[in-house]
Amino acid sequence: MSAGPAMVVSASRRRIDPDPSFTRAFAELAPRLPGSDRQEIAALRARSLARFTELGIPTQRDEAWKFTPVGRIVNRPHAADVPAEPPLERILPHLLGGPKARRLVFVNGRLVPQWSHVGGLPEGAAIESLTRALERRTEAVAARLARDDGRSFTALNAALAASGAWIELAPGVVLSDPVQLLFVTVPGASAPMSHPRVVLRLGSGAALTLLESHVGLEPGPALTNLVLEGELGEGASLAHDRLLLQADEAALIGKVELVLGARARYDQTTVALGGSLLRSESEVSIEGEGVECRLAGLAVPRAGEHVDTLVRVHHRAPASHSDQLFKSVVEERGHHAFAGKIFVHRGAQRTNAYQKNDNLLLAEDGEVDSKPELEIYADDVKCSHGATCGELDPSALFYLRARGIDATTARGLLIWAFASELLDRLGDRTARAAARRALAARLPTGALVDEHEDAA
Amino acid sequence: MLEIRDLHVAVEGRPILKGLSLRILPGEVHAIMGPNGSGKSTLAHVLAGREGYEVTSGSVTFGDEDLLALEPEERARAGLFLAMQYPVEIPGVANMYFLRQALNAVRKARGQDEIPAAEFMRRIREQARLLGIGEELLKRDLNTGFSGGEKKRNEILQMAMLEPRLAILDETDSGLDIDALKTVADGVNRLRSPERAFLVITHYQRLLDYIVPDIVHVMADGRIQRSGGPELARELEERGYEAVLGGRLAA
Ligand SMILES: Nc1ncnc2c1ncn2[C@@H]1O[C@H](COP(=O)(O)OP(=O)(O)OP(=O)(O)O)[C@@H](O)[C@H]1O
Ligand SMILES: [Mg+2]
Repeated sequence: MSAGPAMVVSASRRRIDPDPSFTRAFAELAPRLPGSDRQEIAALRARSLARFTELGIPTQRDEAWKFTPVGRIVNRPHAADVPAEPPLERILPHLLGGPKARRLVFVNGRLVPQWSHVGGLPEGAAIESLTRALERRTEAVAARLARDDGRSFTALNAALAASGAWIELAPGVVLSDPVQLLFVTVPGASAPMSHPRVVLRLGSGAALTLLESHVGLEPGPALTNLVLEGELGEGASLAHDRLLLQADEAALIGKVELVLGARARYDQTTVALGGSLLRSESEVSIEGEGVECRLAGLAVPRAGEHVDTLVRVHHRAPASHSDQLFKSVVEERGHHAFAGKIFVHRGAQRTNAYQKNDNLLLAEDGEVDSKPELEIYADDVKCSHGATCGELDPSALFYLRARGIDATTARGLLIWAFASELLDRLGDRTARAAARRALAARLPTGALVDEHEDAA
Repeated sequence: MLEIRDLHVAVEGRPILKGLSLRILPGEVHAIMGPNGSGKSTLAHVLAGREGYEVTSGSVTFGDEDLLALEPEERARAGLFLAMQYPVEIPGVANMYFLRQALNAVRKARGQDEIPAAEFMRRIREQARLLGIGEELLKRDLNTGFSGGEKKRNEILQMAMLEPRLAILDETDSGLDIDALKTVADGVNRLRSPERAFLVITHYQRLLDYIVPDIVHVMADGRIQRSGGPELARELEERGYEAVLGGRLAA
């Protein structure tokens, strides 16, 4: 017997064929996708779909998807470009960043112009919807879409991306007011899918606060497949607040991939508070000295929800600092998977890299998988990683109860205390408030802990 | 007020309290002294309702209630307070917020309304001032990063705010400097009243110079071995447990 067939078998187990509906949706949608009037874009999209079909949907044999049966959740018929017109009052609570924020609002992957505004930008700043960017800078966008990272969902995104944005700040441009990208999902009857592509380019010394919100307005199957990529130039600074607030049954698969130049500062805080599957991948490549990179995340899965966080930080230059803090509160039938890896590449001396994953497992039928890893090819480095998984501290619970606070409230307070540390990392005040509301709504003592914040 | 009858308590199957009886009347201050490991904190924890202690026999009544049948929060609401030997640090829960929650829970049980915010602030500032606790400490997270002495003062602050009927102080004096000892003792003395009782656990005669007890008990091997007036504490200080208890002290 030859080795050939065996290899085919094991390789095939790492992927399954995509549901035919993806190809059907593409065939139907292709003529209407932004950029389709340009032959090279149309061809690029067709190639991307073929690449997606070839790569397939990963199974749990694929190391990067070890903890998540993604096929079971997303490999089903979805419809692209499903119109929906939610009333403004459902949207208002999700408009973040204060009165001067600029924003693009998408509903089921369609730009809603009347809720979007990006006017009054200083010279050297561009915020364009993907559609507009494809008209104005076709080659640059095409180059982005053509990039093949060997990941099937990136290829699918390239094939079908109709929403998203191109955000570019020339050197030295500082936007003092936040930019919000709000992706709204209204499932309706048709299991809509959308594939936002966001490109961020910050020139040296540029600064931006980006609020990325994903909001599901009602329960029902839906898929958001996001790719957010870009570069921070020397000394550029990006505060990136991410609120993943999908509704029940909806899935979000997102990848953030950024390259950081010398002395850049990147602060990412991801709050995952709703959705049947929230898969959040971050890949950060530090390519200069003196970078400060902080990645943080909070997940509170319950009732069959599955949050999967995958982080890769590459130190490719000396003397930079990265710090990861990811926490989860897992309630009944919730599942949190965390896989984080720090790579310190050859020559990246004097790297400081930390990673911590703390999980609060509150139910016996909840599940936590944690896989922190280090890969170090330099000798003069300070690195540490660690993961914890535990219940609420009984002596803290006793202390609170011994002062007259009932057990439920005491538990709620301790859970809040554990989780709120992460909310405090959100850079924008309104994002913090929205995350607090969303978290309070998930905890038994919601109202009470809200008041806690007011008092503090 | 408190009646403990022949209490036997085991921890992980090992007997710690072995037939302890104690009766405290309103207005009284009792002191318990005893060697390390004799079961003093165990008694305090069992009275406050901490998990992990198995009452194998005996009874405790508090007022007219079966204390051992109550949850810890019910005991606190009934007017029992334990100033802990090792107060727990709870990051993320603000000291002042916590105290307001606790006070309102206790008030509710007494049939009182929630304390108005302004009155709460006035009272807590007043008590904090008397106990030498800075405003900054009130704003910090509960006991988090507090020094040993600050934790003990914070316990007394909670006691002063909650106004219990029976306060158990488990080595509140240990770790305090001389001035702080005086401040804390003054805090306790301010609360002394004909309706309120105290059970003061200590290793040192010094505290009892400030908080003069009505009755001093010597505890050893899970039982009260001897009781007497304040002079018993002085005798212990001078002669040590071995001499005072003689053959009753288990090796
Ligand atoms: N949770 C526990 N697990 C095991 N043993 C315990 C536990 N709690 C108490 N003990 C044991 O019970 C005995 C009494 O302890 P306790 O803390 O009550 O003593 P104490 O009189 O307060 O001593 P100290 O003066 O040192 O504070 C000790 O031998 C201690 O080791
Ligand atoms: Mg003790």
